[in-house]
Amino acid sequence: MTNSLAVRAEGLTKHYGTLTAVDGISVEVAEGEVYGILGPNGAGKTTFLRMLFGLVRPDAGVLEVFGRSWARDGTATLDGVSGFIESPRFYPYLSGRRNLQLLAGLDGGVPAARVAEVLDVVDLAGRAGEAVAGYSFGMRQRLGVAASLLRAPRLLVLDEPANGLDPAGIRDMRALVGRLAASGLTVLLSSHDMDEVEQICDNVTIMKQGSVAYHGTIAALRRQAPPPAHLLSTSDDRAAAALAAGRPQLAVTASEGRLAVRGTQAAVDFYVSTLVRAGVAVRSLTPGETPLEALFFLLTESGPEDPPGPAAAAVPAAAQGGRR
Amino acid sequence: MSAGSTTGVREAGGTHRATPAPRRAGTGAAYRWELVKLAALVRTRATLAAVLVLPPLVVLLLRGQRAPADTLFGRHVHDSGFAVPLLLLGFATQYVFPLLTSVVAGDVFASEDQHGTWKTLLTRSVSRTQVFWAKTLAATTFAAAVLVVLAASSTVASVLLVGHQPLTGLSGQSIPAPRAALLVVGAWASTALPLLGFTALAVLLSVRTRNPALGVVGPVVAGLLMNLVGSLGGTGWLRRALLSTPLEAWHGLFTATPFWGPLVQGAVVSLLWTALCLGAAHHSLRRRDITGG
Repeated sequence: MTNSLAVRAEGLTKHYGTLTAVDGISVEVAEGEVYGILGPNGAGKTTFLRMLFGLVRPDAGVLEVFGRSWARDGTATLDGVSGFIESPRFYPYLSGRRNLQLLAGLDGGVPAARVAEVLDVVDLAGRAGEAVAGYSFGMRQRLGVAASLLRAPRLLVLDEPANGLDPAGIRDMRALVGRLAASGLTVLLSSHDMDEVEQICDNVTIMKQGSVAYHGTIAALRRQAPPPAHLLSTSDDRAAAALAAGRPQLAVTASEGRLAVRGTQAAVDFYVSTLVRAGVAVRSLTPGETPLEALFFLLTESGPEDPPGPAAAAVPAAAQGGRR
Repeated sequence: MSAGSTTGVREAGGTHRATPAPRRAGTGAAYRWELVKLAALVRTRATLAAVLVLPPLVVLLLRGQRAPADTLFGRHVHDSGFAVPLLLLGFATQYVFPLLTSVVAGDVFASEDQHGTWKTLLTRSVSRTQVFWAKTLAATTFAAAVLVVLAASSTVASVLLVGHQPLTGLSGQSIPAPRAALLVVGAWASTALPLLGFTALAVLLSVRTRNPALGVVGPVVAGLLMNLVGSLGGTGWLRRALLSTPLEAWHGLFTATPFWGPLVQGAVVSLLWTALCLGAAHHSLRRRDITGG
């Protein structure tokens, strides 16, 4: 990783009418980094990426890509940058190969052999002659990645690349992104899936309602995460909840007809054995949300006026402020 | 993904470090890209095929019928091969030209909204201005191709099937065949600028409405309304400003003493319409946020 920045955004703001889609966010992505932008739908991730690509104009703030900005450098801002916003779209009446050939023509200076090369990378060489209208969603996503690779990018921007894919497609897409990241590209990945970002990214910005709710490394985020949660079903939930009282390392709350048990593994083990000894039958004990998922929900689902929960209180105030 | 593709990724990733930054494509590259897309569309090819094939069929049809005496040059269609292309031109300027041009121009921007491909396109090394002029140029190319093919097909078919006899002009004068041929070419050519105006109007509607149907139908409806307004009495100044009026300016070429004023005035009006429509469309495309497409 180098010290130079692939992306620098400062005080970036975008309004759509009365809606503030992005509210003064600041993000820095270093070259060679695999960076995640995480947030629920409507958090402002895609609007941020649209501003990066020049598809929408910021109302305020600074946005630079490899030191270039749209205001100063125009289309040159995108030199060395590629990717897709939301699901990649192509001309349905043309074949996958023809679509890529046309895009290569628009990039200028892309060797003809590069089209075959990138089709091979995403495993679409065998279907490249077919009209895109007949492609599955997953194939279009992969064609989008191929189109992004055409211009040999230094920064690859992928907006929810696994969105809408079946489990096999998600696995394949994650593997592909992982391999691309391993090849030395700077990758900016937007997602609403904590698991996806955790597996691939080094650093993450978590967005909520247009603002930054967390900004830092995955490792630091992991340290702040609450203990793992389990969902417990018993023969007598009321008695089970009562047996949890007074145990400082354990939190038991009602959750969708079951009990959510949060605590260290040892505390949960001891609690389960206590239930059995007390004659409360354990019908099921299943893993609930992962610690990072729990933290993600705490960061993104509480309203601005809500008091922070125990886990949210663990997040540094600086991170809440949204500036690294 | 195959195991083999891992190597491919590494190669792809490795290649980018050695590859110089890609040079940016210009308007020419974007124009070629648009032409390739247009050529792949069935609608485009069908329209060009229609304007090539239909005029000879019309000529054949007219040969077996009584001459349509109530239309311009209609009464002379059996007497001179130069009358039929003028009859067809008169019909085309009334109803067909706005449709033929808007088939492509009305769809050329809105189809990107329809397919959601603006973001695919504008995340490459090409600016909105380059895309705008490339698309506008492609739509103009198509309009010009339609005009040339329709004129050539009408004239050649008519001369071959009817003959190249002298043409009777609008003042009743006889126009020798060589001069009649030049005037026929001039008459068709005089519609090029109004057609450019209708193309620009379709481009504006295509950009503003983002709806291919409105982009295609809009200029046709506008053309019909202009014809209607132009046919009303007491609309002298308004009639001169309408885009449909220059389409009739060629009538003056076929009088005993040709008058050029309507042609010059029509050219100015057409260019004004073109400049206003393209200026508004360009401004709109440059300013708009690409959020859906």
